[in-house]
Amino acid sequence: MKYHFGSSSAKGGHDGDRWVALVGNPNCGKTAIFNLLTGLNQKVSNYPGITVEKKEGLARTDHGDFRLLDLPGTYSLSPESFDEEIVSEQIDQWARGMAPPSVIISVVDATNLGRNLYLTSQLQDLNIPIVIALNMMDRLEENYHIDYEKLAKEMGVAAVVPLSAKLNEGLPQLKSEVIHAFIDNHDIADSPPWMDSEMVSKYASTTHDGYASSRFGLAQSMRDQNKSGMNNGDHEAVLRYRWIDDILSRVTRREVETPLAPSRSEKWDKVLTHQWGGPIIFVSILYFIFQSIFTWATVPMDWIQLGMDNFSTFVVDKMSDGMLRDILVEGIIGGVGAIVIFLPQILILSFFLTLLEDTGYMARVAFMLDKGMTKMGLHGKSVLPLMSGYACAIPGIMSTRNIDSWKERLVTILILPLMSCSARLPVYTLLIGAFIPSITVGGYFNLQGLTLVLMYFLGTAVALILAKVFSRWIGEKSSSSFIIELPPYRVPIPKSVLRHVFIRGKLFLVNAGKVIMAISIVLWFLASFPKVDSPNSEINPIHHSYAGKIGHAMEPVIRPLGFDWKIGIGLLTSFAAREVMVSTMATIYNVEDAGEETVNLKEAMRADVHPETGAPTYTPLVALALMVFYVFAAQCMATFAIVRQETNSWKWPMFMVVYMTALAYFGAMAVYQGGKLLGYS
Amino acid sequence: MTLTDLSLGETGIIQKIEADTALSNRLRELGLLDGMAVRMVKMAPFKGPVEIKVRHSYLSIRWNDAQSILLKS
Repeated sequence: MKYHFGSSSAKGGHDGDRWVALVGNPNCGKTAIFNLLTGLNQKVSNYPGITVEKKEGLARTDHGDFRLLDLPGTYSLSPESFDEEIVSEQIDQWARGMAPPSVIISVVDATNLGRNLYLTSQLQDLNIPIVIALNMMDRLEENYHIDYEKLAKEMGVAAVVPLSAKLNEGLPQLKSEVIHAFIDNHDIADSPPWMDSEMVSKYASTTHDGYASSRFGLAQSMRDQNKSGMNNGDHEAVLRYRWIDDILSRVTRREVETPLAPSRSEKWDKVLTHQWGGPIIFVSILYFIFQSIFTWATVPMDWIQLGMDNFSTFVVDKMSDGMLRDILVEGIIGGVGAIVIFLPQILILSFFLTLLEDTGYMARVAFMLDKGMTKMGLHGKSVLPLMSGYACAIPGIMSTRNIDSWKERLVTILILPLMSCSARLPVYTLLIGAFIPSITVGGYFNLQGLTLVLMYFLGTAVALILAKVFSRWIGEKSSSSFIIELPPYRVPIPKSVLRHVFIRGKLFLVNAGKVIMAISIVLWFLASFPKVDSPNSEINPIHHSYAGKIGHAMEPVIRPLGFDWKIGIGLLTSFAAREVMVSTMATIYNVEDAGEETVNLKEAMRADVHPETGAPTYTPLVALALMVFYVFAAQCMATFAIVRQETNSWKWPMFMVVYMTALAYFGAMAVYQGGKLLGYS
Repeated sequence: MTLTDLSLGETGIIQKIEADTALSNRLRELGLLDGMAVRMVKMAPFKGPVEIKVRHSYLSIRWNDAQSILLKS
């Protein structure tokens, strides 16, 4: 892999070639510092060939600008998970002199100095000036004192800057120390300070060629040997920690000796991760989130609907009759509008998920559920990806990267698309709204809400069962361990939560929008052509269109599920993305109606009758079968593209398409035929 | 004795780690060195993971893995 930083966003004029890397442990506040340094001057892209978000930005100072790259969090240069591998591979390249940064900002959690400085000391071997950003100063105990200057001197780094990302304090000092460090040209010693001469000569013989810094080569050589299990009594971690702890004993002072004392978070955890209370609280939180998605979102959703309706009326008024107006109103506004309406729900869901992650609660959930997840062939760290799957499978699949074991990561990826994502919501909402009566059952529950919960439950339950099956079937012995840090509970930084939600929403609109706009236009053409020469008022022209022909050709296959040709077209177009189903139906009915206004899809579907028998085309049973189909169906190109990238083979995405399609087809058939046997129509 | 023999709130001193190379390297890198003090914070039910405090940080380790951390008796 080779990264080209020179070619991108080098707007800083003559400063364009100097750039700074931001490296640190997970949960050290690295991303918050990145956001503060770059403001809105940042862009998120992927590393070439892999779907790892690469965050770059531009930091402005009075003494010139510099570009900044944010790397994923890692504890050390000996990677355990895929995320960490990215960092260590990247750093290995710098060590070989390939596009190294001019300065490294090593973000360090001041409340956990020793552990955080471990990575800093590994970075020092690169012979690149290092500025330590000593974050979380606001959380430091009052009786704990750090001599910053002495720490910088003893460690041999360019500077130590105490700061607090949360309170936005110390950032200007950090910037100016980085600017100073650009002209820092003092070389480090040729060997790590924690190696004695005997070790140096021993490891020099096994050092690989090609390292620009001999010190990095020596350390790497010891790391390699430790990794293969030969440590001959010298272990990198032991030696480094001994060196760090010795420095800390001289530069820090504690009035009372309390390293293991219970923190405030620990007291919170007495309740939040309580043996029995913890899971109950977790389920309650989930219930609250889902509840709010459906209640809070209705207001903005109504606004969007109203706006769309007004907009299409406006276009109909202002434009003269013709094909362009038809494409615009029936194809684009109808199709795209059907999707934009779900933005509020997606924003609310990602807001809550970000909150759970940023407060540190998700790590507790992983801790509480690890045992249960292991029983199902998964991993404590599968919980967050699976929950993200309720929003969208793609970020979910990408967040499996911190699961250390390949087998458990693969199983998590394979079942993740069964978690009902927000793209299914439009389909569920449409069908439930149109065909499930809004009555109260069992005294409390609204039948519509209950049906929706049932769909989510069905997907999740089948996902967990299949996890067990797949993990047996893959067979390979799991080598995973489960070591996670439980970070202190934190009040999330509002700006960074909002930024995250904004990025999610933008991705949805841009990605979904592009696909849906294209499909809506293509579909409009397919549904509108060929035009019938002598319009026969008895037969709807859409039957003779290309789309109608495709749909009719599909009918024999989907008839046993209770689906007609219109649904057939919807199923076909939803292969690009599930929510397209709704816009497809909207486009079909708009074309069929051919009136001036956009039709109300719910009403149109309810009113649809069989041309010969006069019986309703869609019944509650058909709607239920269709929903079950959507719970299981493999209908998202983007997901399979991501799975292909993450598993590095076509085998797994193809397997997913096959097993999910089979589940969907037979699941829907069981519902429809079973329902008919029970006397429903 | 091993780490899992500690009762809740009890502190022990690490004597050595007897785990496979990958696990013991990881534990070492997280700062669990011989002679270091650890406190048992929490045990998930049914031999689920345990939560310990070491070096100012809280770590969650699976029961079986925790058993490979031997303590001074």
